[in-house]
Amino acid sequence: MAAVLQAKGLCKTYIINKRQNNVLKNIDLTINEGEMVAVMGPSGSGKSTLLYCVSGMDRATAGEVLFGGKDISKLRDKELSRLRLDEMGFIFQQMYMMKNLTVLDNIILPAVRSKKTSESRKKTEERGRALMHRLGIGEVGGNDINEVSGGQLQRAAICRSMINSPKILFADEPTGSLNRSSSDEVLSELLKLNADGTTVMCVTHDPKVAAKCSRVLYLVDGGVVGEKELGHFSGAENELRDRERALNNWLMEQGW
Amino acid sequence: MFRRILKKDLKRKKTMNIIILLFVIMCSMFAAASVNNIIAVTGGIDHFFELSELQDVQITVSDAPEAVEEIKSLPSVSDVKEVHFVEVSKSKSFSVGGKKLDNFINPALFWADDSMAYNFFDTNNNIIKDVEPGWFWCTAPFLENNDMKYGDEVEVTVNDTVVTLKFAGRFKAAGISTESGASPHLLVDRTDYDTLDKASGDNDFFPITLLFLNTSDLQTLKDMAKENANIDVTPRDDMRAVYIYDMITAYIMMVVSIVLMLTAFVVLRFTIMFTISEEFREIGVMKAVGIRNSSIRSLYIVKYFAISVVGAAIGFLCSIPLSNVMLRTASENLVLGNEHSVIMGLLSAVAVVILIVMFCYFCTRKVRKLSPVDAVRNGQTGERFRKKSLMHLGRSKLPATGFMAANDVVSAPRQFSIITVILALGMLMIMLMSTFAVTLKSRDIMWLFDIVDCDATVLDVEYIADFMMDQNKAQDTIDDIEKALAEHGMPGKCGITVGMVKDMQHGASKATVMIETSYGSLEAPTRYDEGTAPAKADEIALTGYAMQDLNAKIGDTVSMTVDDKEYEFIITGKFSSFMNGGHVARVSREFDARSEKANSSMGIQIRYDGDLSDKEIEKNNEELKTILETDKVFGTEELIGWATGMTDTLTAIKLLIIVLTVIVTLMIVILMERSFISKEKGEIALMKAIGISNKSIIGQHTLRFAIVAFIAYLLSLAFLMPVGNAMMNWICRIIGDVQGVKCSIAPIDIFAVCPIAVIGAAVIGAFLTALYTKTIKASDAASIE
Repeated sequence: MAAVLQAKGLCKTYIINKRQNNVLKNIDLTINEGEMVAVMGPSGSGKSTLLYCVSGMDRATAGEVLFGGKDISKLRDKELSRLRLDEMGFIFQQMYMMKNLTVLDNIILPAVRSKKTSESRKKTEERGRALMHRLGIGEVGGNDINEVSGGQLQRAAICRSMINSPKILFADEPTGSLNRSSSDEVLSELLKLNADGTTVMCVTHDPKVAAKCSRVLYLVDGGVVGEKELGHFSGAENELRDRERALNNWLMEQGW
Repeated sequence: MFRRILKKDLKRKKTMNIIILLFVIMCSMFAAASVNNIIAVTGGIDHFFELSELQDVQITVSDAPEAVEEIKSLPSVSDVKEVHFVEVSKSKSFSVGGKKLDNFINPALFWADDSMAYNFFDTNNNIIKDVEPGWFWCTAPFLENNDMKYGDEVEVTVNDTVVTLKFAGRFKAAGISTESGASPHLLVDRTDYDTLDKASGDNDFFPITLLFLNTSDLQTLKDMAKENANIDVTPRDDMRAVYIYDMITAYIMMVVSIVLMLTAFVVLRFTIMFTISEEFREIGVMKAVGIRNSSIRSLYIVKYFAISVVGAAIGFLCSIPLSNVMLRTASENLVLGNEHSVIMGLLSAVAVVILIVMFCYFCTRKVRKLSPVDAVRNGQTGERFRKKSLMHLGRSKLPATGFMAANDVVSAPRQFSIITVILALGMLMIMLMSTFAVTLKSRDIMWLFDIVDCDATVLDVEYIADFMMDQNKAQDTIDDIEKALAEHGMPGKCGITVGMVKDMQHGASKATVMIETSYGSLEAPTRYDEGTAPAKADEIALTGYAMQDLNAKIGDTVSMTVDDKEYEFIITGKFSSFMNGGHVARVSREFDARSEKANSSMGIQIRYDGDLSDKEIEKNNEELKTILETDKVFGTEELIGWATGMTDTLTAIKLLIIVLTVIVTLMIVILMERSFISKEKGEIALMKAIGISNKSIIGQHTLRFAIVAFIAYLLSLAFLMPVGNAMMNWICRIIGDVQGVKCSIAPIDIFAVCPIAVIGAAVIGAFLTALYTKTIKASDAASIE
């Protein structure tokens, strides 16, 4: 499988009160097309920072990030924005949405901004509605964001991340603020997207989420200290239990 | 602990606090300066009159020595001072360095230094006791367009006598007008006066005697004036009218200060409400740990009290130079006793502080509504949100950035309405000043001077004097000028309107009214508020004031004596007029009043044949000056501007308001945009995270202020004419009996200067502040609450 994303010698350092804080230390990683990679680790280990650096949301202090073979660390802000808009999708723990827009308008906003296609706004809206139907929130398109539940909002965020058919989807604790049933629904949608060919990189604390991913990276103090290949998840209950058990054991070994 | 919280807040919200401080400074600066200005001008007039030892009444007696004696013999009058003048009717009779003066229209009046009826003051406010032989002092109109310096020699030619006088300076005299259209007054030594008097002989154009006296029975004098058109009584209170423009300017500045203060309060309210809504969590936590509402509110009040005390102190200091600028014109005309009222200035500044603190207390009531649960729920419970999305991106034809900006504005109408109203007020003030300045020199108000619309007016005493002394000569003057115009290839028609002060009677009511009649081939003034123009010899039209004086209405019959014969007239119409304080009547051309001597005229009006462009008219007017050998040929706007005399003041105020509006706009836009950025930090980071460029975000933030400024512009345009017309009529009513004045528009100011200045300031302020969004990173999306 071809690599979608590669990081080489990635470092990120913050200077706080004249003290140097090395958040990421010389990280090398490769994410292949169609993979669903979970990034785990204790709080403060640098998981989210890694996600932001490889997605171009933040700039690494050193090292290079290759996306589709192109070093995005050398891109200008404008080019990075274009890349994030057209080729990447983002889901956050909080269901960030524009307060002044309806749920549907929030979803189609990246498509309206994108120059990837020259489709009419009506067509974009139709695509947005289709995505919402697919994720089971078709009826809330015209609602304000305060009129829908957290689970619906997170699914709307997934729709937004998918509207420009990105090559890779970055998710930072996508189920972190959801209850169990909403969390399962959201995760199942991510798995479906992955099954349809979208590469997913997901930061999570939840072993249940990670167990459904094809690979798990474990970070401690800014470095990748372990990697667990779990393979493609078929969706069967039995398989999930085995994967969870294997992952938990491995996590224990990592010091989880 | 509160001190620490306050200190941290002052540091954290530096930009917002600095802008509020600037507002308080501006507020107290203008409040203190304009209060001082009003007190100095209004109180200053009385003070000046006291210092001048000005008598109770000034009586002007025109060519009626028997009336002078009658007044002097009244038992109710005392301390009578009788003043005679030597009148030099043409400015060309004066020359400086061999060059003849051409700077004033009305006759110059010489006073002898021993006949000063009351105290005159020099520029340093010292009483002028006497004048050195060979020297003279003068009032402002003599110095119009004339850069005369101390010691400069002026030659005065009266008939064949030439008197050389040296310029000693400008003097201030209570009750003598300093407006450019007024007669210049010159004060000379008795010997010089006598020389001039002897030379002038008995040829005074307006042989008037001024009487200054105290009286215990003003009504008797007023009754005498009603009976005798040659007597004009001006009580001391009415002499204040000389300083009407200083007072109008002071009141306009007060209005500007009030608008500034209102703006400051609106800004303060926005800041407090915004801060409280943004600090819902801190407030909730404070409540959760048991801190009382009053203690939380006191946090905000102490902060704004501190800012307002510092601001008011700086504002008070800054008000002193501002007050100096405001009082510059007034102090040239008046001896102000209280130029810098420290106490009033301080009181104004303290009032600003008290108002701000009270206002803060009122605004912080929202604190009571916030509960500890707000802090816990993180504002995500829906209570803090309401229906917001009014526009729909999918259905909109707007470009994405334009849509986002417009949607922001319509989704938060309340917060954007604040700036809309402020900008609209600022623009409205600029437009009003510009409109007033243009209207008061516009041909659209020419009818208020009871003259017809024309291209040029000749206002040279040399031409006017003949037909005023003998109205039979009016037609000859018109014929001569029309002939000269035709001979020089610029044919045109001429018209003259003259006024005669006459006593008029309706039943038992009597009034002194200026009767106007017209001559020449131009039509007579035709605009009437009610009824029709007098067409027959026994018809007359009156102004509202004249009707009031006579207790008459349209259809009534009034009587008047002309050339010892009594005539009756039916009132056919009512009209507006600036002339004679609005006490005017107009007779038809059929009525022969030529035997009467005219008292006033707005000169000879000329309208060139054909449809000439402004440039051609200007060229003709220049040529007319050569043909008639006078510089006193005025274009219409020039004439009206000179006659109203307020255009320059209003233009200066307009410039000040433009500067203030631009500064206020910049400050408000920066404050609001900075507030919005801090509120929308999460959304900005999110937009960046999903790939929306800095350029688009900055564009969106700038565009929404441009939209708001444009809406404000449209609002101010909508209010301009109704407000402008109402205020214009109010201003005009100060001058005469006026109704139905419609403002003229200054297209460049209204359609270019105003929108460019204010919308430009809003856009620049928003753009520069929006650059701050660059500092927000896409990755902040995950860490923002």
